[in-house]
Amino acid sequence: MDEFLKSCAQSIIDGDGDVAETLAKQAVDDGAPLIDVIEKGFAAGIREVGRLWGEGEMFLPELVMGAEAMKRAMAILEPSIAGSGGLKEAAGRVVIGTIEGDIHDIGKTLVATMLSANGFEITDLGADVPAGRFVDEAEEKRADCIAISALLTTTMNGQKKVIEELENRSIRGQVKVMVGGAPCNDEWAKEIGADGYAGDAVAAVALARSLVD
Amino acid sequence: MEPVLVEGFGVEIDPEEITRLLGRGSGAPGAAAGRLERVIDEMLSRAGELIAPRGIYTVTPGSGLLGSTHFEGLERVAFCICTIGGGLEREVSELSAGDELLRAVVLDSAGSVAAEETAGYMERRIRDEAACEGLRISCRASPGYGDWDIEEQRAIFKLLPGERIGVRLSKSCMMIPRKSISFAVHVAEDPVRLRGENSCAECDVEDCPYRPPG
Repeated sequence: MDEFLKSCAQSIIDGDGDVAETLAKQAVDDGAPLIDVIEKGFAAGIREVGRLWGEGEMFLPELVMGAEAMKRAMAILEPSIAGSGGLKEAAGRVVIGTIEGDIHDIGKTLVATMLSANGFEITDLGADVPAGRFVDEAEEKRADCIAISALLTTTMNGQKKVIEELENRSIRGQVKVMVGGAPCNDEWAKEIGADGYAGDAVAAVALARSLVD
Repeated sequence: MEPVLVEGFGVEIDPEEITRLLGRGSGAPGAAAGRLERVIDEMLSRAGELIAPRGIYTVTPGSGLLGSTHFEGLERVAFCICTIGGGLEREVSELSAGDELLRAVVLDSAGSVAAEETAGYMERRIRDEAACEGLRISCRASPGYGDWDIEEQRAIFKLLPGERIGVRLSKSCMMIPRKSISFAVHVAEDPVRLRGENSCAECDVEDCPYRPPG
């Protein structure tokens, strides 16, 4: 079993979706303990991908390939777990989007993909999202966290508006808020009363984990 | 002078630049290297089909940028807007929405390289014209860089009809299509360094992943 789990992890590190998918199918067919296959196999792989990227050993496309391979494996494993009455708890529920007035999308999508590959349940609202919509969706999805991207100095103030909207609806205490994007930093997060800032997709995963724990 | 429209030119997209923008890691190429190379080749050729480089520029006294004091006292400044068009970023959105994030990321990066090359082409064109009169040009400066306020994009778009090359400005001063660049250069016998120069040498982010090595 250990060797099998290692292969699962390696398929993610190699960013090889075909192999990841084959191994996931094999695990289902063999009746392997799927939660273990995820946690000790595939998820261990995606954590290693994050670590390698954080240390500059991998570059962005390899990170994306790892996340995409993870997605393919999970697409096979999750329905089987649900079908067998098992319960795979999401790491947390995150509503994510790029703030109103800003149509930069790809950085935010990367963060969403990495969060999803790391077990978070994601609602991706896309780009140019009004502050109120973040809060509407967070309420509806009972989100643990709202992640707001802004790539322009002219739009970053919208991140503050989301926090104000949460306060207006008296639910600020129920939802964590994380911010990211080129003009943002820790000071900005503090200034607007956000719970944290992440500078890249891997940092966003670590921050989201610490916020929802 | 009347704005000059420049179109019908091509730009080279260097695959090395794509990988530099994507932050090539310091580690040895991993197992994914071969597959990745194929994706880069594929997206490079797709980018070639999707881009339509165009630019528009004018040369005026610095005071010609109405509402701005950024170029006060400069006799001749060239202002330019250029773009690779919207086709590439539409495809990036489609790929991204269709769970093809790797291709989306690589194509987006190819688009950034192409936009930069387009600006380089326009800059050389302005430089060559200046040279005919025995003048030189400064490095490029762009709104939003250094202390040149991004809000002054509005002044550039008042000076130049961006719509003639299919570029407009959003309320938040973002150019649409996104893969567009606006810039200014000082034209003179002995051009000054402009504030807002977008060169790595002028930037104080030492550990920036986009800074070329060396």
